[in-house]
Order: sequence, then structure tokens, then C-alpha cells
Amino acid sequence: MTKIQINGREVEADPKQPLIRACHDQGVDVPMYCYHPGLAPVGSCRICQVEVAAAPGQPSRVVAACRTPVSEGMVVSTDTPKAHDTRRECLEFLLKNHPLDCPICDKAGECDLQDYSFNEGQGKGRSSEPRRKLEKRKSLGDVIVLDEERCILCSRCVRFFTDVTKKAQLTVEGLGSRSVINTYMDKPLEGNYQGNLADICPVGALTSKKFRFQARVWNLSKTLSTCGECSRGCSISVEALRAKEVKRLRPRYNAAVNQWWMCDTGRHALAPLTRPLAPEGAVLGGRLRGAAVRGYNGLELADDVAALDLAADMLAAHPGAAVIVSPFATQEEAKAALALAQALKATPQFVSPAPNGLKDDLLHTGDPCPNRRGLVEQGFTALEPAAALAALAAAPAAVLAGERVLEFLGHEGLAKLPTKLRLVAFDVETSDIPALDVVFPVPTHVEKSGHWVNVDGHVGVLNVAVPPPSGVRRLDAQLAALAAKLAATPARS
Amino acid sequence: MVVVQRKELTLAERLYLPEVLRGLSLTFRKFFEKPITRQYPEQPLPTDEVTRGQPRLVVKDDGNIACVSCGMCEIACPAYAITIDGGETDRMIEREPKKFEIDMLRCILCGFCEEACPKDAIFMSNELELADYTRAGLVYDIEKLKRPKSALQKRIDYVYRLNNRWRSKQ
Repeated sequence: MTKIQINGREVEADPKQPLIRACHDQGVDVPMYCYHPGLAPVGSCRICQVEVAAAPGQPSRVVAACRTPVSEGMVVSTDTPKAHDTRRECLEFLLKNHPLDCPICDKAGECDLQDYSFNEGQGKGRSSEPRRKLEKRKSLGDVIVLDEERCILCSRCVRFFTDVTKKAQLTVEGLGSRSVINTYMDKPLEGNYQGNLADICPVGALTSKKFRFQARVWNLSKTLSTCGECSRGCSISVEALRAKEVKRLRPRYNAAVNQWWMCDTGRHALAPLTRPLAPEGAVLGGRLRGAAVRGYNGLELADDVAALDLAADMLAAHPGAAVIVSPFATQEEAKAALALAQALKATPQFVSPAPNGLKDDLLHTGDPCPNRRGLVEQGFTALEPAAALAALAAAPAAVLAGERVLEFLGHEGLAKLPTKLRLVAFDVETSDIPALDVVFPVPTHVEKSGHWVNVDGHVGVLNVAVPPPSGVRRLDAQLAALAAKLAATPARS
Repeated sequence: MVVVQRKELTLAERLYLPEVLRGLSLTFRKFFEKPITRQYPEQPLPTDEVTRGQPRLVVKDDGNIACVSCGMCEIACPAYAITIDGGETDRMIEREPKKFEIDMLRCILCGFCEEACPKDAIFMSNELELADYTRAGLVYDIEKLKRPKSALQKRIDYVYRLNNRWRSKQ
């Protein structure tokens, strides 16, 4: 560790890190556009300039904090008139060609340029030249749109591909004031990590096609959560419009798991989280509104307590029930399912779908079970969907529990199960499965709190980002209620 | 304790009839004077460009509203009356409201939306009447909020004049 002085304070700094990191670690705000802690510094935007002297009393000069290494005894001042003036002049040049379309721009509200203009800028440009006129809607593949006018050429996106995915795809094309960002040979971007460009772009030049104009960012509630698309369990923030409708999933920094990044598969996995409710009074055609039991006309909505009684009765009357949970089951739900399995004298099992072939070197593990490790550690046995269906066909009764468990088992295979099987399910949505006798609704993983254990043993936390539909209770509470009801039901055979 | 001294009535007052006639004469005289009340629903209130009525969206000469659904009025609204959902459009402005609702029952006619709007899309009209049979009918959507520019021109000119007063002269 090296001793340096920042704004008159003696602090210790890591000599391997650039000066800007030392400032940020000390809570001293230094603006940055081209610098990103996950990318190699290039010092192209010059907005991070601070006043530095080699030692106290030495003459000082203004340097870019992202390209300056920390050295012993260095005196750094970020708040001097000289530093402020330099930064303000840089900002004026950066804003020279930047259009004033904040009302339209998706980045408005979380835009670094907006924030620093407010803090440091002078509110008025002195240039009389017209702004550059460039392409406003340039598609770069399926995920990203480029607005060339807004781009300040910080080259974060270029370095993302060279430094993080190790496959260069973007470049700065042209010279001087004609420079623009473009892909090599105008080819569309490829790979599973393009969505990160919209996050790292400090202005609104690179925006996500899926999120484009969907919401203003200050109307989004942000909830810390974990991605469920693979067993990596990236730390994410679930952002919901007016705390009701999930609009986007974004990575949040976690040094041990995903750094700053996230794959597009996880980022765009919004469909299971924004499933519409089934029509009023109906069981099929959307998310379950309440418990349903099989009547003369197929599955019908029923009273929760009556459905629970019926489920307990059936399981008591048909000993030897199988218990299979979803790979999305949280640790808490797994514990409740374990207690239920003990009560039913069943082997706890979970559906383990085959790897989906999306495995890569960066984050995606290709294993679609976000809590595989947690479930295995709790004593659950992994079961391929085909093996699970075969086990179900042979069992007298079964409990299927967890978000999307029916989907992972396969609706087609479930529809072929013999009707003599007494099947109790807990899922977000169901199809018309002849063997299904009782089904209870459950919340999705953004509507409940809980924990998942990722492939390396790191615990990912789930929080309530949006409220579940009215009347939908937590799965662990429902399983505990079923176990309690079973204990109170006399065994029959 | 306060002792109230009652006024002694004169003979004319005690006779009752002269006082009644005096009162009625006032009534009859008022019959022939110019009335000072307004026959409200038939004679609407006079409005001015200063009148802050209900907010309305200006329809530009090309037939579109100027709104880009930036959400400034939504966030400025102290009564949470405005709800906007944006979406992409092929027009030059790129972004337009897919849903723009003002709950007129919540609106307090403060004019903050007009002040916040960076696109001169929303202005306070001179419309003040508000009646319906349902609450849902008073949540106005885009079609109900659209007004031609000519109908709001006086207010637009007034707001420009007002804003220019504070603008620094160079």
C-alpha cells in the first residue's frame, strides 16, 4: 500500500490501481466517462482530470486520474478551481456535438453526462458551429441500437468486446470530427453479452432494443435479486415500472460472481416474469388466480382451504407419493419440501433439465437449474425430465412443487400420465393435464424472498420486486400447511 | 354580565304596516335594476389567457401532438394525476406516448405540467367544467385531451410572453 494525500487527507492506496480508483475508494467523487473499473483505462474523455503534485510543495499539474498510477507521497486535489475549470472545459467540448434530446433519450435520469453537466457544466455552449448530423437509429444486431449523434466516443463499448468477451466487434471509424462507432464491415453484433453495452454506455448512444422507450428510469423501482437463467446466479437488479411490471433486468456488481456483467439470455428472460393472469374465473390461459381442483368439467377454481383438504386426503389415501420440486425452488422452499417428503416417506427429488448449450467461458454455465447446488446439498436427487415422468407414471400419487415445475417436466409428457395418478401441483401456470387433481398458484422468483446457491457455492438473494397476484401465497408456507394438514389427517389405505 | 338595552320602538314601527311597505318598496325597486347575478350554465364564466383550466394536449399543424412522453409532467404533477406510457414511433421524434392519461378528478389545475413540458405539448386550457356519471369517464386519454392549436393560441402566447420576461437578454 502507498501513502498519498487526497484533498488534504492522508490515505492509503493500492499502487496497482489507477488514481481514480483510490479517489473513489475514499468516497471522493471524480467524474468518469471512458473509465470503467472493468475495462482497461484509455484516458480519452479527459473528464476525470485532477490536480496532482509529486510531493507537498512541488508544482502541481492537471492529469487524467484514470491513466495516472498512484505513487508514494503524491498530493491530489480534486476540488481546486484549476481542476474544476479543466473539467468544465472538457465537458463543453464533449457537449459540443451532443444533441439536447434528453426528453427522448432512454438514458435520461441515469446518464453520467446529464449528472456531470448539472454538477460541473456551465449550462451554455459558446460554440456557434452547427452540431454533427448523424444517424439516429442505427441497428447493431438484435439487441442494441446506436444513436451516433449522442455518442461521445469514450470507446467503452469497443473495449468491452476486446477486454471482456475477447472478441473485438466494434471500432471507432473515421477521423477527427467524423469519427463514429461502428462494427467491423457493418456486420451485426453477435454473442450473448451485447446487452451490457447499453449498461456501460455513459450516455444514451447505445440503447437496448427490448427496453427502448418502455419506461422512464426514475419510474422504475430497483430490487436486488438473482438471475435464474443458469446456475451462475448473477447478481441482478430487477427494475419494475411503478413497482408493478418488471421492465428490465440489469446486472449489479458482485466481485465473486458476475463482476459488472450479465448475459443476454438472463437479461431478456422477462416473459416468465410478466405472464398475464388467466381470464377471470378461468384456470387455463394464463397465470393461476387461485387453487383449482378437478371437477366434472376439468379443472375448476376452488376454495384454498377445501383444495388443501382434498390434497391432504388424497395423499393420505395413496401412500408412496413422489415429491419432485422445481430447479427454481429456493432454499426455504426446499426445506419445506424436505419436511413434506419426510411426512410422505418419499425421496426428495428435483427436475434437472438437460444443459441448454449456452455454456460459454464468461458467465453462462449452460445448466438451467439456478439452485442445483443448494438442492443437492439439502439432499435432493437430480432427475432428468424423462426419468421423472417415468417415476410419476409408476407412482400412486405425487407432489410437484415450485415455479415452472410443470414446464420443466414438459406439458406433453405430463398430459400422457395415467389418470389414476393422484397429482398435486404447485406452479405459476398449468395446462389441461388429465392426471392433475389439485393445483395451487405460487409466486415467481421476483415476487418472493429466498436464497439460491450458485454453482460455486455463493448464495444469491431473492427479494420481492413486484407483489404477487392477490391470494397467491409463498410456496414454503403452502407446503408447510400441506404437511401440517397431512399430519392431522388419519392414514387410510 | 352584559345588560342589553332594547331599543324602544317608535309608533310607526309598532304599527307594523309602514315598515312592511318600506321593505317591499326596496324589493320592487330592484325588479327594474340591472341584475348582478349570472345565469351560470347558460352564460358561462368569462375566461382569460391567465385562466388555468384543465390541461390539454396541443395538436400541431401536422395533426400530431408534440408530446414525446418524456415524463416531465408526470414527475412534476403534485397530485399524481398524469400517467404516461411511451413507445417507439417512426416519426422524427422517435418516441411518442402510447398512453397519456390525466385523471381530472386528481388534477388540481396547478399548471406545473405546462411549466415542466420541454416540448410545448401541454397547456392549460380555459375549460373548467367537469361532470360525468362515472369516475372512469373523468380519466381523460389522449383523444379526449387533444385540442387544436388555435383553441389554445391565446394561452400559448401568454406563456411565451411570461417565459421571455425571465429570459436573460443578450
